[in-house]
Amino acid sequence: MSGRPEDGPGADPDPGWGGHGAETRRRVLGIGSAIGLMAALILVVGPLVAPERELPPHPKPTPMASPGDPIREEWEVFRTRPGSVAVLPDAQARSGAKPRTLATYRALRAYPGAPPRIPHGLTEDEFRTPRCNTCHERGGFSPRFGAYTPVTPHPEFRQCLQCHVPDGQMVGIGFPDRAASGVCLQCHSLARTVPSIPLADWPEPDWPQIGQRAMEGSPPFIPHDLHLRGNCLVCHGGPGAVAEIRTTHPERANCRQCHVPAPSAEGEFTRPLDREQIIAGKEP
Amino acid sequence: MRTDRRTFVKRLALASAAGAAASLMPGVSFGEEVARAIEGLSQPVWRKTPCRFCGVGCGLLVAIENGRAVAVRGDPDSPVNGGLACVKGYHSVQMLYGRDRITRAMVRRNGRLVEVPMDEALDLVAQRMRETIERYGKDAVAMYGSGQWTIPAGYVASKFFKGGIGTNNLEANARLCMSSAVSGFMTSFGLDEPMGCYEDIDHADVFVLWGANMAEMHPVLFSRILEQRERRRAVTIVDLATRTTRTSYAADRSLIFTPQSDLAIANAICHEIVKRGWVNREFVDRYVAFKRGKTGIGYGLEDDFRFTEEAVDATWDEYVRFLEDYTPERVERISGVPAREIRWLASLYGDPSRKVMSLWCMGVNQHTRGTWMNNLIYNIHLLTGKIASPGNSPFSLTGQPSACGTVREVGTLTNRLPKGEVTNEEDRRLAAEIWGVPVERIDPRPTHHTVSMFRALDRGEIRFLWIQVTNPMVTMPNLNRYRSAAQKEGRFIVVSEVYPTPTTDIADVVLPSALWIEQEGMFGNSERRTQHFEQMVRPPGDAMSDAWQMIEVARRMGLGELFPWRREEHVAEIWKEYIRFHDTPEHRMAPYEELKARRGVMWPYVDGRETKWRYNTKYDPAADPARGEFDFYGHPDHRAWIWLRPYEAPPEWPDEEYPFWLSTGRVLEHWHTGSLTRRIPTLHRAVPRAYVEINRQDAEELGIRNGEMVRIISRRGSMAAEARIDYRAQPPRGQVFVPFFDESMLVNELTLDAYCPISGQPDYKKCAVRIERMGMTLGGGPAR
Repeated sequence: MSGRPEDGPGADPDPGWGGHGAETRRRVLGIGSAIGLMAALILVVGPLVAPERELPPHPKPTPMASPGDPIREEWEVFRTRPGSVAVLPDAQARSGAKPRTLATYRALRAYPGAPPRIPHGLTEDEFRTPRCNTCHERGGFSPRFGAYTPVTPHPEFRQCLQCHVPDGQMVGIGFPDRAASGVCLQCHSLARTVPSIPLADWPEPDWPQIGQRAMEGSPPFIPHDLHLRGNCLVCHGGPGAVAEIRTTHPERANCRQCHVPAPSAEGEFTRPLDREQIIAGKEP
Repeated sequence: MRTDRRTFVKRLALASAAGAAASLMPGVSFGEEVARAIEGLSQPVWRKTPCRFCGVGCGLLVAIENGRAVAVRGDPDSPVNGGLACVKGYHSVQMLYGRDRITRAMVRRNGRLVEVPMDEALDLVAQRMRETIERYGKDAVAMYGSGQWTIPAGYVASKFFKGGIGTNNLEANARLCMSSAVSGFMTSFGLDEPMGCYEDIDHADVFVLWGANMAEMHPVLFSRILEQRERRRAVTIVDLATRTTRTSYAADRSLIFTPQSDLAIANAICHEIVKRGWVNREFVDRYVAFKRGKTGIGYGLEDDFRFTEEAVDATWDEYVRFLEDYTPERVERISGVPAREIRWLASLYGDPSRKVMSLWCMGVNQHTRGTWMNNLIYNIHLLTGKIASPGNSPFSLTGQPSACGTVREVGTLTNRLPKGEVTNEEDRRLAAEIWGVPVERIDPRPTHHTVSMFRALDRGEIRFLWIQVTNPMVTMPNLNRYRSAAQKEGRFIVVSEVYPTPTTDIADVVLPSALWIEQEGMFGNSERRTQHFEQMVRPPGDAMSDAWQMIEVARRMGLGELFPWRREEHVAEIWKEYIRFHDTPEHRMAPYEELKARRGVMWPYVDGRETKWRYNTKYDPAADPARGEFDFYGHPDHRAWIWLRPYEAPPEWPDEEYPFWLSTGRVLEHWHTGSLTRRIPTLHRAVPRAYVEINRQDAEELGIRNGEMVRIISRRGSMAAEARIDYRAQPPRGQVFVPFFDESMLVNELTLDAYCPISGQPDYKKCAVRIERMGMTLGGGPAR
């Protein structure tokens, strides 16, 4: 059997854990003779110049280099320190801020998983060089909007407008003076907090059902894909969370310890009692 | 019976209104009247139980309504988990109700399993057992159980086989799971099981995880660590692993090392601790001795392999000279971990102001040098004196609910007795006295550890094998050999199971077992905590507890006087008899009534007090304060032993023909062989089948696309699976990983049956494979 230790270092391109063996030893010997006298005098140096002992052969080491970019869906969940979003439940209410609700969340998305459009005005300058992360990376209260800013789950993407589009008529209007202007009603009807966008023929999509669970009291499934949304707390924690889906326990950092995705494809697992091909010919 | 949501919620509310006691102490302190009243209202009743899955032993509350388990919550009063569980625990009760549950006994006739009355099956088992003993001798029958046995079941097995039949052919799958942890404890401390407990997490500043993906495998304890980091900030988590996992992402630092080089890394840490003057001299001088064992000890691949360890005294100077080989630079060259990282890690262990907890499980134990790795981690803690005090804790995690409670403490291993070793006359005398059998009946020679037992089945030395609560036809390494062994003519296999598995496929008799809360029992978790659960629901059909199956067969074999108990009381009676074995301050256990009333009790339990830190004279009643702050009383010299354990190569590693390392393991959602978790729809849907994790660059070089079917081939077998790139975890280049829960993708046909010569535990984490494209896909595929 090749690869066994009796095949010795020959089987391995990087033999002996003395490392690049011969070369290291030559160097050590060189140093040894050059400072021979000194070494004899300074006992402490003794061990340093002693020839390296024979050590067992070993497999080729794993390069410590990163195995690749992190798996987003695994890594993102740990990106937000729970403490940063663990506000008291009534903090949002006490601030007098408008709550973020499922209705507004859905109104900005064409279908589940679609990138939300930008519901607010952008100055010409902002449109040319988007600096969305100024507000959307950390969140916090925005006096301009009287609301907590939603936090992006993927702040490393800087080309925000690649996926998130503003309404053309809002570009260039900047942030209106909410107190004085009638400009709001250009986009917002009196009844709606989110500007409506008329659509030709687009039925209301099937939004994931909230709170699906196996039994009473068991942790709800994750009803959506995790692509670009692996950082649970940005939507489910903190004052910027969507009110209906805000977690009661943002301090639990490892969300998927309890909440697992619920793909619908596979049903129950059962298996036949007998596998004839395995037991053929056997009798008690 | 289904309950709709509204009724349920209403009933829950009523239940809590029915009595303050009921809601404050659900499950335990109900007076019977209260319980009846609640049942009369047809409301759910909450009962306490430890979780059925891993060795953490979370306290759960199960809601019982109309004779069925209908809901679960984490037990807020449990000191283990404080109300938190994981996705397996939260969905656990659904495993009782899979549609293919085995409810009747079956006997194989003309190649097919045919239902028979339970009595007939038990008669047949007893008859075949008796015949086998008459014809081939007592060592031709064997019992193979697991760390999922309740404590009473394990005790009955031990008494039946060792005290009744007089054979040491009794093993458990815990041999595949934590026997290196046992031999590590025995060699370093002379007594099994951890000195510390979970509370150490609340005190430690540094957590070093040695090859343990705790975020998935021990999630509740990992959450406790994350909570500490969140709360105290100055907490550091280091993930030391062979692949990048969810734990790596959560950790502050992830260090990826070459398989097997953990031996060298641990020694390099000690090298640095000595060199930098971080040794706790006072501790070492007073409480530590140095030992040298055998080296070049082999891998147990041969059938006639035998090994006996010998401890030879060593000195401090010899130890320091031994460590000279392990400079961080040299260790970098074999481990791939940069020398500066090794120094940094050593500095965390060495810093006297930080409390350090090391945690490990299968990565260290399933290792051909598993005992050595356990010793080496203890060495670090002993050198620095960071042991047996709050927050300073080398902590061996376990994977099964009662690996500690049953297999280790009851001793359902060939060499063990409920107290001590079969080789020790005093231990045999105690057992004979408590069991009421002649001492000669207890055989002083250990027979086979697990791998050896299946090899003996292959050779025909063992002819009758009874398997309970485990699934060896999925879990044995080098599986092809052991499956054909079990299928040979003249072998009789009895399997006690709850669902059809590849192990029932090879059974001649299948006995339907009660599962978890369908019986009364106790489990012992990895922090020495014994937890009682009562029977809450009826087992389906003819299903019977594993313990009672054995008692029924023993009675049919004329060994009834060993098991004189009535069925209604046998668990209590067994407990009372069993704890006589442990009636000394080192291991005294709580009485039955107390166990029943409390959220588990940690042993040693002396004068009504649990012992959180053993060997520490401040906490442990068995430790003698005259010896100072600590007393490592497990060894006759009252010292803990630092072992000079070198790096030795693994038995097989990648070469040109088989260029990849193969490692196996679990995923969060599935447990053991998936025979239970796959019956839970939520868990099955989350991860419906196994896959092979492959590094992105390796996949690109081989032209393998994500989701494509590939064949992985070792010298022993091959399997087909979907390639998964950047799915759940990332192996480094040159490594692949396959979870073993999926019986249709038997990765253990590929693994190597090499084992640690001291513990007999196989290494499931290292062998060499090659990968071939199959040019097809299954489609679909698991979502994240």
